Amino acid sequence: MIAKTNAFSAAKSISIQSLNKYYHLFHALKNLSLEVNPGEFLVLLGPSGCGKSTALRMIAGLESISSGEIYIGDNNVTNVLPKYRDIAMVFQSYALYPHKTVAENIGFPLKMAKSPKEEITAAVDAAAKQVELGDYLDRLPGQLSGGQRQRVALARAIIRRPAVFLMDEPLSNLDAKLRGNMRAELKHMQNELGITTVYVTHDQIEAMTLAHRVAVLKDGVLQQLGAPKDIYSDPENLFVAGFMGSPPMNFISGSIENKTFSARGVHIPVSDAPINGNVTLGFRPEDCSVLDAGNGDLQATVYTAELTGDHVLVTLRLEAGQLVAKMPREFEIASDMNVGVSIDQNHLYFFDNETGSRLRFT
Amino acid sequence: MSKSLWHQLFEPPSIGQIAPATKVILYTILLAWSAFVLFPIYWLIITSFKDAAAVNQGPFFLPWIDFQPSLHAWEELFVIDYKDTLRAYFNSFIISFSATALSVLVGSMAAYALSRVEFAPNLITILYFVLLVILGGVAIGVFDVDWRLALASGVALFFFLARAVGRLYQLRLQNGDILFWIISQRILAPIVVVVPIYMMFQSVSMLDTHLAIILTYTVVNLPVVVWLMYDFFNSIPRDLEESAQIDGATMINTFYEIILPLSRAGLAATTLLVIILCWNEYLLALFLSTTQAQTMPILVAAMNAGERGILWWTMSAVIMVMIIPVVIMAIVLQKYIAKGILVGAVKG
Repeated sequence: MIAKTNAFSAAKSISIQSLNKYYHLFHALKNLSLEVNPGEFLVLLGPSGCGKSTALRMIAGLESISSGEIYIGDNNVTNVLPKYRDIAMVFQSYALYPHKTVAENIGFPLKMAKSPKEEITAAVDAAAKQVELGDYLDRLPGQLSGGQRQRVALARAIIRRPAVFLMDEPLSNLDAKLRGNMRAELKHMQNELGITTVYVTHDQIEAMTLAHRVAVLKDGVLQQLGAPKDIYSDPENLFVAGFMGSPPMNFISGSIENKTFSARGVHIPVSDAPINGNVTLGFRPEDCSVLDAGNGDLQATVYTAELTGDHVLVTLRLEAGQLVAKMPREFEIASDMNVGVSIDQNHLYFFDNETGSRLRFT
Repeated sequence: MSKSLWHQLFEPPSIGQIAPATKVILYTILLAWSAFVLFPIYWLIITSFKDAAAVNQGPFFLPWIDFQPSLHAWEELFVIDYKDTLRAYFNSFIISFSATALSVLVGSMAAYALSRVEFAPNLITILYFVLLVILGGVAIGVFDVDWRLALASGVALFFFLARAVGRLYQLRLQNGDILFWIISQRILAPIVVVVPIYMMFQSVSMLDTHLAIILTYTVVNLPVVVWLMYDFFNSIPRDLEESAQIDGATMINTFYEIILPLSRAGLAATTLLVIILCWNEYLLALFLSTTQAQTMPILVAAMNAGERGILWWTMSAVIMVMIIPVVIMAIVLQKYIAKGILVGAVKG
């Protein structure tokens, strides 16, 4: 899991302890505690306003800390100016200096560190080469495309060889195709450099693909921390289950009685359910399939079927709500057909209707 | 399908073009307006080359045809009365440039602070401060209290009680309030404040000095600078400064490397505007100067009050001399102004 460290001085850990942030009366970040391992790629994931950017800006030192402590390596940086934290940050807007050339932008951190001119030139060349910008050094940021600007921002971040990378939604201003390419490049680069990275995004696919571990935040509270695979297959609560995955998990609200889950028009036997009461049933689109009417666990009507290329998403209507099934791309079905739906009994999730927390039966 | 004449005349041939009839109407209006605006300037120019007879028997508009141009007025201005002319010219330069430099320097710093720092002064504390200043003034002025004693007790009272007084009522002012306060200084007509200003400078024997006018102009133009530069600084994304901070820049580095180069256009536009305001200012200069610190507008007005009646020809020449520098500056700085005010800011 921990990436190799070759080019840089030993990567540092980040330790966040009971971090709180108040904006006047608004409690933006609630008691966040996190340990980021040296060389790890950690993604802070959540909807807008969940406190993820606030947390990142507090690590960067751009936001004051209401209470709690932050350590980078062995240093308590809670009250240390950003420039002494040995970090580099990539902003959503890239924050390139519009009046400076690409070379001046990339070399800015070294210029501020008063490095000798030849050293800066050499380092700028190397960094520009790494992000494939060698031919653009004399241009101004305004003359570059979005993807190229993104690379300049990255080059400026890596040139100083910081202990920690902080990235605030760096890909969200790119178009979809470029975003995919840059995602792969970013992952490759982080792996190669082995720099501890904290990455903020609201895009769960970025989180899944990039992270060693994902921290899911909602309303300033850490919901779950774990490897992407674990968060996807073993969500702690309704929010995480619904946020991870595209299309999202299907939910049916109902109750369990006598080892059977019931909702309007739905009756699914749950062999190992020891409890009775109101619950929400969740299952992923890929864990259910559409059958002929009369078969399967529940009956539904086809609302629409969408071919996305590698598979077909079938949206189904039933009395208790709406659900999506992911079918192979050869699958064909007409709207308004009555069908049956079978659900993989091994991949059922139950959540408490009131608290939203996961109910585990085994 | 043939189009009606009406359509041919009044519908644009394609998107982005103007219909022929509309074009004719538009250009007629524009030409009329241009004539209306430019004719007085033309008249001014030819009048400065007329002698008394050509003016009084006129109106004549065509040189060499209606009247014979003469350098009579210019000679009077630059040969006979050259001392007065040059002194006023020199005064105007010194005063305009000094006042502009001061107000742009101070005003842009204030604007930057207002755009980047959240101030939250307690309203009651401020009112308490104002009250102490007034009481101090009354004590010194009316009751003849020694000013050192009044100042010391005022400062002491403020620092001892400010916190306690501030706690009475927690209403805090915000940056918007401070900004409005600064801009509101321009609400009063200059004629209202000019008498107190006159008396103030009179009591420190500074009437008819450059410094008095420079200080007055600086204060009067500060709100303009703060207003324009506040908007301009606000349009520079904070990300840039934060990024520079993380990249190891000090406050001074950030200011000189990032903020100053990016606000060049705004500073140029503001500077030009303030120079023009100072250069053209009449009322305050009229009160604060008599001979030594007399500026160009005063000289122009003086042509109106000579014993020989109104000297239109000399007046025209003086006005021309006065507007030439402003016109040149406007042409030189025009590209900056267009950038600064229309395009506004910075695109990454």
